[in-house]
Amino acid sequence: MRTKLFTLVPIAAISAVLGLGMLAAQTTAAAEEAKATTQSDPMQFVNGSKTWANTCARCHNMRDPKSLRDDQWRAAIAHMRVRAGLTAEEAKNVLVFLQQSN
Amino acid sequence: MNTTTRCRKYAWSASALALLAMPALAQMHPERIAELEEQLTALTEQLGELKAELDEAKDNGSIETIRKDVEANKVAIRATQSSTAFTEATSVTHLSGYASADYVSVEDGPAAFVANFNPMFHFLYDNKILWEAELEVEVEENGDTNIGLEYTTVDWFLNDNLTLVAGKFLSPIGNFRQNLHPSWINKLPSAPAGFGHDGAAPISEVGLQIRGGNPVGNNGRITYAAYVGNGPKIEGEDGEIHAVEAEGFASDPDDEKVFGGRVAFLPMPNLEFAVSGATGDVAVVENDGADLEGDPKRGYTVFGFDANYRWSNLDLRGEFVSQEVDAAALSVAPENTKWETWYAQAAYRFGGDSNWEGVVRYTDFKSPHADDTQEQLALGVNYLIAPSAMLKFGYESNEGEPGEITDADRWIVQIAFGY
Repeated sequence: MRTKLFTLVPIAAISAVLGLGMLAAQTTAAAEEAKATTQSDPMQFVNGSKTWANTCARCHNMRDPKSLRDDQWRAAIAHMRVRAGLTAEEAKNVLVFLQQSN
Repeated sequence: MNTTTRCRKYAWSASALALLAMPALAQMHPERIAELEEQLTALTEQLGELKAELDEAKDNGSIETIRKDVEANKVAIRATQSSTAFTEATSVTHLSGYASADYVSVEDGPAAFVANFNPMFHFLYDNKILWEAELEVEVEENGDTNIGLEYTTVDWFLNDNLTLVAGKFLSPIGNFRQNLHPSWINKLPSAPAGFGHDGAAPISEVGLQIRGGNPVGNNGRITYAAYVGNGPKIEGEDGEIHAVEAEGFASDPDDEKVFGGRVAFLPMPNLEFAVSGATGDVAVVENDGADLEGDPKRGYTVFGFDANYRWSNLDLRGEFVSQEVDAAALSVAPENTKWETWYAQAAYRFGGDSNWEGVVRYTDFKSPHADDTQEQLALGVNYLIAPSAMLKFGYESNEGEPGEITDADRWIVQIAFGY
């Protein structure tokens, strides 16, 4: 019984987090849409450059923005968002910086 | 008279009247004719000027310049359309990865070349979900090709700060395994002792993970990961626990999950402290090379601490991991068993934009088995061919049980490339 509790409680906790996540996904989608309309915001480029400089070098040498195409950076930044614990906004800013610098 | 005949009669009459009237109209407006003549003269002059300008443009190449500008604009428009497609397409695929080739010379042993590559696949859909996977392909000593699945996960971006990672993922315990082990990132040609297979640090896990991060204050950050997985398997040999295999299995013979995670705090971007750990139950599933069923469950705990600091061209890292399996009186391998390892590493890039880098790393790996225990001082000099490509010259001074491979010093030259 104790074992089952130890199994069920964390799974319930994860389910709760997922539930909250799904609710928040609506907010995220709306936020993404709003961000898409502000792609020309120069602060995205500035903030993206700062996040890029502060985050990438935590683990590896800085890669040249010209090393990948715009679409390749999209996938690479999505990967790095997971690895480096970036927020959606930070990842978006870094992407804007890289796509405008390559 | 029918209607058609009547219409023809009227048309002929109107035409005759108009012809008769035209000279009369001209005679009535001579000033208008003069005005038209003036306009005609002006237009003729303008046409002459335009012709002269055109001839001049042809002579000095302006027409060619304009034509090139138009072509360039067409190319730019096509590029913009293409770029927009790259930026706004719903699905994106990306092939990435890294590869390395090594020359390894072991003290009192044969030297050999080795090679491997790790292709990585990314498939992103609409900035909502990412599938990523990495294979490990290497040439074995007998010439066979060994292919392993490092990880394969579906990453669902739940919200701004949380991602659900499902599948086989790199263990979030510590920092080396999940972030630093790729050859183009690792500043030495080898992993620290205890951070490889059958060491003290788990390699990977199969299960569910949630992870993310959040800024703290102006410059700080916190990152977090929590997971539940099948957990490791235990190998027994000669009445002892031989190894904890923590490489991610798609089965769970003891039917008990392992829970763990990592929390990192960065008070400033170039300084990171992190603690990580996992706990659960495990069981011996292989004993003396044969499968084993029914061995009793026992507690399993792993704990890690890591810190990283960068200042100018100096990069400092340190990590400690301890892995322990509890005692189980009725097991074929009843005793409590513990592995511990830690390393400290300093790397310095010479000069401002120099391509040369020096590295020193000390590692102390303690295993319950004397032939695995190793103390290592590794020195390296790297030449950065490109931001993601390195030529590494490494020397390892190893102290282990005399006569064992862990006691043999090594020279390793490696060329590594992340693509």
